[in-house]
Amino acid sequence: MKSTLAVAGCFVWLALLAPATAFSSEALVTNQVSDSLSFVDLVTMKSTAEIKIGGKSAGIALSPDKTKAYVTAPDGQELVEVDAVKREVTRRLKLGGGPLGIAAHPTKAEAYVADWYAHKVTIVDTEKLEKVAEIPVGQSPSGLAVTPDGTLLLSADRDSNQVSFIDLTKREVIATVPTGERPFGVTIDASGRLAYTANVASDDVTVIDIATRTVVGTVKVGHRPYAVEISAGYGFVTNQGEGTISVFQPGTGNIVKTIEACDHPEGIQRHDDLNAAIYIACWGDNVLLQLDPRALAITGKAAVGDGPRAFGKFLR
Amino acid sequence: MLKRLALAGAVLGLMSAVAAAHGPSRQKVTETIEINAAPDKVWAVIGKFQDMGWHPAFAKTEGTGDNAPGATRKLTLASGGTIDEKLIKYDDAGKSMSYEITEVDVKVVPVTNYAATLSVKGEGDKSTVEWKGAFYRGYVNNDPPPELSDEAAVKAITGVFKDGLAALKTKVEGGK
Repeated sequence: MKSTLAVAGCFVWLALLAPATAFSSEALVTNQVSDSLSFVDLVTMKSTAEIKIGGKSAGIALSPDKTKAYVTAPDGQELVEVDAVKREVTRRLKLGGGPLGIAAHPTKAEAYVADWYAHKVTIVDTEKLEKVAEIPVGQSPSGLAVTPDGTLLLSADRDSNQVSFIDLTKREVIATVPTGERPFGVTIDASGRLAYTANVASDDVTVIDIATRTVVGTVKVGHRPYAVEISAGYGFVTNQGEGTISVFQPGTGNIVKTIEACDHPEGIQRHDDLNAAIYIACWGDNVLLQLDPRALAITGKAAVGDGPRAFGKFLR
Repeated sequence: MLKRLALAGAVLGLMSAVAAAHGPSRQKVTETIEINAAPDKVWAVIGKFQDMGWHPAFAKTEGTGDNAPGATRKLTLASGGTIDEKLIKYDDAGKSMSYEITEVDVKVVPVTNYAATLSVKGEGDKSTVEWKGAFYRGYVNNDPPPELSDEAAVKAITGVFKDGLAALKTKVEGGK
């Protein structure tokens, strides 16, 4: 009798939760070694599906309504479209070069792909799934991020030690800002005021004021930082070279804590629901970690495919 | 004249590429071996960053900084060539060390951006040694020659790990 009640209670709770979100909150994790995409339920922290991508999936961005994922395949030199609801690959676009970093426009059907070898950003019309423009940037562009208002695209030009500011109306670079050495991931805060680059070779984070296009701070972090995320008033940095997460105060740049995480922590993102929890892909350990941004502690772990990167926006 | 300038430019371009960029996909090799000995006994052999003498591929280890993060070593291969490495993390209690290659010719080991972790776990008289490597292939652009491909890189590192772990097992279980 007791167990029947418990089951019934659980069912009611699920029924209440379901309509509010339309789908269960999930992570779409690109696994580069196993060449696949893992779907992880973020409430249960369990992998619910894994689909083959082809071409060694690495970067990821989601459509404005988050029903489609755009995945870069550097070995296959392709952009791969995934129906996130049906969990299947729907279309592929051959890009050539070295597609890695990717970002999507917040409202328009447009994705931006950085070409690591050809030093340009390709604009893709995601309705037609075709190239519409190419914008030359600095050497080996890596991470990309679009401002919340959709006017600017920032490109971390890894081997030029700079961020390119791309005007998305003019489709051209309008400014460059110097960073630390080898910026890889670039992240823009929710207000669109500040951008952060993780600088792999100088072990620091450059803080850029977007409006004035100036460097306003440098934060010394752990070894070989990969990407940055902001949540609950803190900055979080995945240090792939030492397996930790540096936590800093954006205002002062002070390190608050260094959290032991996993082997090669890489892609990192805050979920806008779920109490702004942070999720981190661990390339070496084949897991997705959940981090509580207030307790500053790892609170969950889910097994995913081999070599997860999740480089970009991977939560819905 | 123009041709010569263009060539110089191409060479410079290539050099900067070698210093910075890397292949499209990071490769991973994980090898483990079971050893019939206590973890402390195994760690006593492999836990010294300044002594790779347990591995038959390496003829000489020279370095400074003992086991402190930031310590460096130069490994001389029995077959010739050298590898410069730097210690990143050292956990004596947890029996784990992480290090990186700072300098190697791709003709010696066909990899770039190489990092590895060597660790021991176990209890009683049983140990498991794990050696995990993360690296890119030797060729930093698309369309690599076969000797600098992803496959060549994985094969080379797998060989180094397997040979070393097999020799370690023989040495430790042999009672020496």
